[in-house]
Amino acid sequence: MAEVKTGSRTGPDQEDPAWSSGAEPFKIKVVEPIHRTSRAERERLIEKAGYNLFSLRSESVYIDLLTDSGTAAMSDSQWARLMLGDEAYAGSRSFYRLKDAVANVMGFPLVIPTHQGRAAENVLFTTMVNPGDVVPNNMHFDTTQAHVEHRGAEARNLVRPEAYDPVADVPFKGDIDLDSLEATLAGKKTGAGPTGESIPLVLITVTCNSGGGQPVSMANLREAAGICRRHKVPLFLDAARFAENAYFIKIREPGFAGKPIREIVREMFSYVDGCTMSGKKDGLVNMGGFIALRSRALYERATVWAVLFEGFPTYGGLAGRDMEAMAQGLEEVVDEDYLAYRVGHVAYLGRRLKEAGVPIIEPVGGHAVYLDALRFLPGLPRERFPAQALAVELYVEGGVRGVEIGAVLAGRDPRTRENRFPELEMVRLAIPRRVYTRQHLDVVAETCRGVLARRETIGGLAFKKEPPVLRHFTATFKRI
Amino acid sequence: MIEPIKMTTRPGRQAEIERAGFNTFLLDSDKVYIDLLTDSGTSAMSDNQWAGMMLGDEAYAGSKNWHHLWDAVAEIYGFKYMCPTHQGRGAEHLISQILIRPGDYVPGNMYFTTTREHQERAGGTFVDIVIDIAHDAQAEHPFKGNVDLGKLEALIKKVGPDKIPYVSVAVTVNMAGGQPVSMANLRAVRELCDRYLRSDGQPIRILFDATRCVENAYFIQRREDGYKDKSLRIILREMMSYGDGCTMSGKKDNLVNIGGFAATNEKDVYDKLTQLVVVFEGMPTYGGLAGRDMEAMARGIYEMVDDDYMAFRIGQVQYLGQQLIDAGVPIVRPVGGHAVFLDARAFLDHVPQSEYPAQALAAALYLDSGVRGMERGNVSAGRGKDGKEHFPKLEMVRLTIPRRVYTDSHMDVVADSVIDLYERRKSISGFKMIYEPPQLRFFTARFEPVRREGFWGPGGRHS
Repeated sequence: MAEVKTGSRTGPDQEDPAWSSGAEPFKIKVVEPIHRTSRAERERLIEKAGYNLFSLRSESVYIDLLTDSGTAAMSDSQWARLMLGDEAYAGSRSFYRLKDAVANVMGFPLVIPTHQGRAAENVLFTTMVNPGDVVPNNMHFDTTQAHVEHRGAEARNLVRPEAYDPVADVPFKGDIDLDSLEATLAGKKTGAGPTGESIPLVLITVTCNSGGGQPVSMANLREAAGICRRHKVPLFLDAARFAENAYFIKIREPGFAGKPIREIVREMFSYVDGCTMSGKKDGLVNMGGFIALRSRALYERATVWAVLFEGFPTYGGLAGRDMEAMAQGLEEVVDEDYLAYRVGHVAYLGRRLKEAGVPIIEPVGGHAVYLDALRFLPGLPRERFPAQALAVELYVEGGVRGVEIGAVLAGRDPRTRENRFPELEMVRLAIPRRVYTRQHLDVVAETCRGVLARRETIGGLAFKKEPPVLRHFTATFKRI
Repeated sequence: MIEPIKMTTRPGRQAEIERAGFNTFLLDSDKVYIDLLTDSGTSAMSDNQWAGMMLGDEAYAGSKNWHHLWDAVAEIYGFKYMCPTHQGRGAEHLISQILIRPGDYVPGNMYFTTTREHQERAGGTFVDIVIDIAHDAQAEHPFKGNVDLGKLEALIKKVGPDKIPYVSVAVTVNMAGGQPVSMANLRAVRELCDRYLRSDGQPIRILFDATRCVENAYFIQRREDGYKDKSLRIILREMMSYGDGCTMSGKKDNLVNIGGFAATNEKDVYDKLTQLVVVFEGMPTYGGLAGRDMEAMARGIYEMVDDDYMAFRIGQVQYLGQQLIDAGVPIVRPVGGHAVFLDARAFLDHVPQSEYPAQALAAALYLDSGVRGMERGNVSAGRGKDGKEHFPKLEMVRLTIPRRVYTDSHMDVVADSVIDLYERRKSISGFKMIYEPPQLRFFTARFEPVRREGFWGPGGRHS
């Protein structure tokens, strides 16, 4: 593999986030024991799980990198606020604390809490999106796409083309393609309705999860907002990882190095009409989400659906204590030292893997390292699901659980019933926030190196049982 | 552990209720002295549940708390499959979307607001099959929530078993005043449904709204022949054995602040649940709940069937109800399991139902003493497909008692205030609605007294 590249984007080596962050800006207060299993045990457990990592019990996993969603370690302050939860059904003071935090950090006056991010999408899209509509996004996350399609609308991805190139070294690979956005909006029919191709809103996902956690630049947000304003279409952020995105703007975009993160965050949100938020990522909580808005009229319409799907507008399907913890989390996540640690921690794993010659998607994003399964297992045909096979081997090798983002996840074409083979075939190693140490990441890197050394022996997988929808969650496989 | 509450002043309450559009849902909780808005999600958890909160396994897939919850549902309810949801309406949404086809009929022992909304959104029509006496506030009956077997059979004969995706049996019946269903009635509903097979050869499905199922079991233990020596655990298992599954709001009998689930004995229904839950709630092994909340719910499920706890629980509700009965205040009889319901039509017999007497009474009660109840009458019932108001027979203010939260001294304050209001009831004016949202209007509607000066009245002891 190519030697480690340094410097061109992030300055001299000592400013590389992988090395510059020092030790964690926190110490451990409460621990949760984990168990290392033997290789023989893991062979037995994964066979029993049908070679599907979703079917493993969590105690069978040593290092769990399945997701960064809802897996954060909360702080002592957040746990203290769990004790202050006001569980009143209506008018809970915990709701007002959340509302204040959202106003303070993001600048939105109106908030509808929801039990998590996909519920915010369900409420917002039920309010705004009609059959036949088109919803542009840099790249829809899978649940976002599911909700747009559930409304009978088309989810259209307009990310810049380099996002599909696993090795293109571009600082803001999550940017929306402005020409495509302009063309899409210029072609829209005026007036909403079930027949015309109208565009009820434009979404931008920060950071771009499906593209590998790649950030969106401030310049791109600003220009996209200008286009949307000219065409009178509201612009929303899918803000799950807004703080990580802000940190990339600070370290990569000219003119932002000296600006406080809070100011960058406020500027990002100043360009949009609202956002959906999964608090389980940059809210630093185990459960929670919300919709934030400026328009009172839209708020009134959305609360009707919030009541039906989630709960009364002042609790939205969350315990009062969870709103408290999320309010506190929003204040903690914009801490500069925390973000330097967080982004640096993920970059550290990326760097260790590159040193070991493991092919990864570059540049490394904000919340996960993505292994490029097609380069990792070059001889294996796509029909044998190289990313799924690689994820299984990582578990067998070191008890590490990642997740396949490739052909198994993509499913079959609804018309031809043929397997869909997406451009990228990846294993995502998502890093929970404030949970694992660098020693854990060293084990992950060693595990990848170990599998790489024996990659010739990996023969791939075939379906044993394939469910008709969302097959990745419950399918079973056999080894070839 | 305690949570301080604030005493309020009459001028303060006057300003607050006006700001809230005379809708108690829109009051801020720190302006409320005793909060009887709901028993949902307001329980005090036990030390054992809080200890469980510390054992939350927040893994996205395969969390051990999910296994504990699965085992608790299997052991205490007896259902084979369980899918967690963030709360009860999440489970109702999934079940309605999976089972109801446009044109179907869903018979149930009285409507509940969010339940009916989900059934109608899925294309179904709700049909009330509760016994007639349930609609008579003052009539005594030990099992006022019973299903009228004649009504159910007539519907089956009219539309055929294939048009009935399930019979929805609520235990207890919230909108009738927390009234229970007898074991004999549940058994008879099962036998009736077994006699009518769908074209796939299966009998008509029965699903429980099991939200307050243990409170129902307690009434069976106390009132039905042959059950006084049986434990709540055994009674609950028998009740559930007559159904094919349930939706559950864990925020009531499961003694948690957030959580719910759908349970079923049918593999294919469970498979569909696991597919749909991902879209709206979360992965099937967490369903929109933190791991710690599944653990607290699993532990709450074992605690809820404790016979001593439930005797205390229902006893406290009866204690409040008996004080009001002794003072001659019109309430729904007999007193139910989770709340005392004031009969607002009899209480304010000078206010026509078109002026929302229950809404007016709830606002007056808050103004008098800082006690927050909830309207369950014309405002909650909403409008029919023709746009007309339903004018339900029951027009009530619900005083809902949170589990393990308030003492009998708090109940005394509530009783004193209600009795005081009753003595000067003629001073209370009806309301007109000045803002009406399109769905579930009771949550956010705003009102004004018809006679403004009259409403504020001379003031009671607390002025």
